[in-house]
Amino acid sequence: MKNEATTILDSGKVKFFLGEVLRNFTRNAGMQATAIGTVAMTIVLLGAFLFIRQTLGGLGNELLSQVEFSIYFSDDATTAQEDAVRASLTHDPRVASTQFVPKKEGLAQLAQETQGSIDTNALLTENPLPDKLRVQAKDPAQVAALAAAARSMPGVGTVLYQQELIARLITFVDVMRRVGIGLIAVFLVVACIIISNTIRLTVFARRREISIMQLVGATNMYIRAPFVCEGLIAGILGSLAAVLVLAAVRVTLWPNLLASLPFLQLNNAPVDMPLLVAELIAAGSVIGVLASWISVGRHLRA
Amino acid sequence: MISLRNVSLTYQNGVRALDNVSLEVSKGDFLFLVGHSGTGKSSLLRLLYREQVPSSGEITVDGIHVDRIKRSRVPALRRHLGVVFQDFKLLSDKTVWENVAFAMQVTGAHTKDVMRQVPRALDLVGLAHKSRMYPGELSGGEQQRTAIARAIVNNPKILLCDEPTGNLDPSNTTEIMELLLRINVKGTTVIVATHNQAVVDRMRRRVVRLEDGKIVTDEERGYYYLGLGQGQILSG
Repeated sequence: MKNEATTILDSGKVKFFLGEVLRNFTRNAGMQATAIGTVAMTIVLLGAFLFIRQTLGGLGNELLSQVEFSIYFSDDATTAQEDAVRASLTHDPRVASTQFVPKKEGLAQLAQETQGSIDTNALLTENPLPDKLRVQAKDPAQVAALAAAARSMPGVGTVLYQQELIARLITFVDVMRRVGIGLIAVFLVVACIIISNTIRLTVFARRREISIMQLVGATNMYIRAPFVCEGLIAGILGSLAAVLVLAAVRVTLWPNLLASLPFLQLNNAPVDMPLLVAELIAAGSVIGVLASWISVGRHLRA
Repeated sequence: MISLRNVSLTYQNGVRALDNVSLEVSKGDFLFLVGHSGTGKSSLLRLLYREQVPSSGEITVDGIHVDRIKRSRVPALRRHLGVVFQDFKLLSDKTVWENVAFAMQVTGAHTKDVMRQVPRALDLVGLAHKSRMYPGELSGGEQQRTAIARAIVNNPKILLCDEPTGNLDPSNTTEIMELLLRINVKGTTVIVATHNQAVVDRMRRRVVRLEDGKIVTDEERGYYYLGLGQGQILSG
């Protein structure tokens, strides 16, 4: 017996197929709306999570790669003490370079950085800045140890470095990542279940059609195709809606958030927006296709 | 064309629908399956288009071993069979033309073939002039003719009918039976499961009688009730 199924397409076949998809899609508009809404909600969550993760991840990396810290000498430190500290750090194998900034030069730098908006000469009768030693470590991981060592040296006032902030950020990002991945996994599963149930309803509504298709010898692949196509459309529409919601949030709420957190340079963190959008739409499509594939499959096996 | 050898079918709930049934049907036969409701007529037909798999025994339909074909081969089998039911099984939101074309389109037929064969099938059943109407606008007889057009549009070698006139009045019944006969004359093997005595007695065709899942008689030119033609008396 020869297999009469053929892959050759003609315009009539395409028209019939698209007609079936469109007809089913519009006939079950309510159920489709549910499916689209579920996809959209899931993708909004996924998108927010991915965006925050990328932002914090970028920020963390930026801070983590900083190897510089500053030693401020106390006012009563002697030149000998300052030289000793400088010599000890310069010869330390973990240190790449040091730069001594005397208080006079420090004031000049400050004046330059403020670009003349503060008249240091008029404002100050004497220079309030301490002498400073800028230290570049070779490895960001050694900054903490170097800073701690420097802190105990005679003549050293304060040591400033961002390691503590970094450590907290790392912990935060890590926790975020774990919680986020867990949440996203749960949401994806829930979305898949809801969507596959929704599609199962549309499959159930069309069981008569399916049984007739089976009766006249349509292959499972052929029966499945329109449903999977619908799932794909629902997934794409849902993720597009989600992207719009996320874009609106990005435009309206995000600047306010940044303004309230000025110490975090979140704006500078690199986020690849086209990639993110592509990922979200891909995720939505996968959910739609998977859910419809599963729910039709259950019906075909019977 | 069709052969059953020692076929038994026991449903999961323990009901024995068919018990050691053997039957041979030649190409071009016209055969009535008769018997009370629940004697296994529908079960036997379902085995032939593999809606059901036998518990034991062998079934071949047009050279295909239906009892052991793979699931993926079932669509290929069904394209060689037409099936007609008591309740027509038409899609109410498609026109007559679309219902008939559907059977070809879902098997991936070329549009050219669809355009050629659908009018031919509708002509044969006498519904060419109603091809744009919906099933709800047709009489029961016309709906069944639509279903028959759908069943034969792929030019099957075998047409299986499960109580095709069960929902029809006598004049529509006569019409449908004449149509089935016309299809049979063109070379299609036709099997009709029915408990319509008038139809069977008027047509005088091969009659296979089922009782409690067993074939009890098989007459060449039979009547609905056993042995009326030969003057035999049913006993037991």
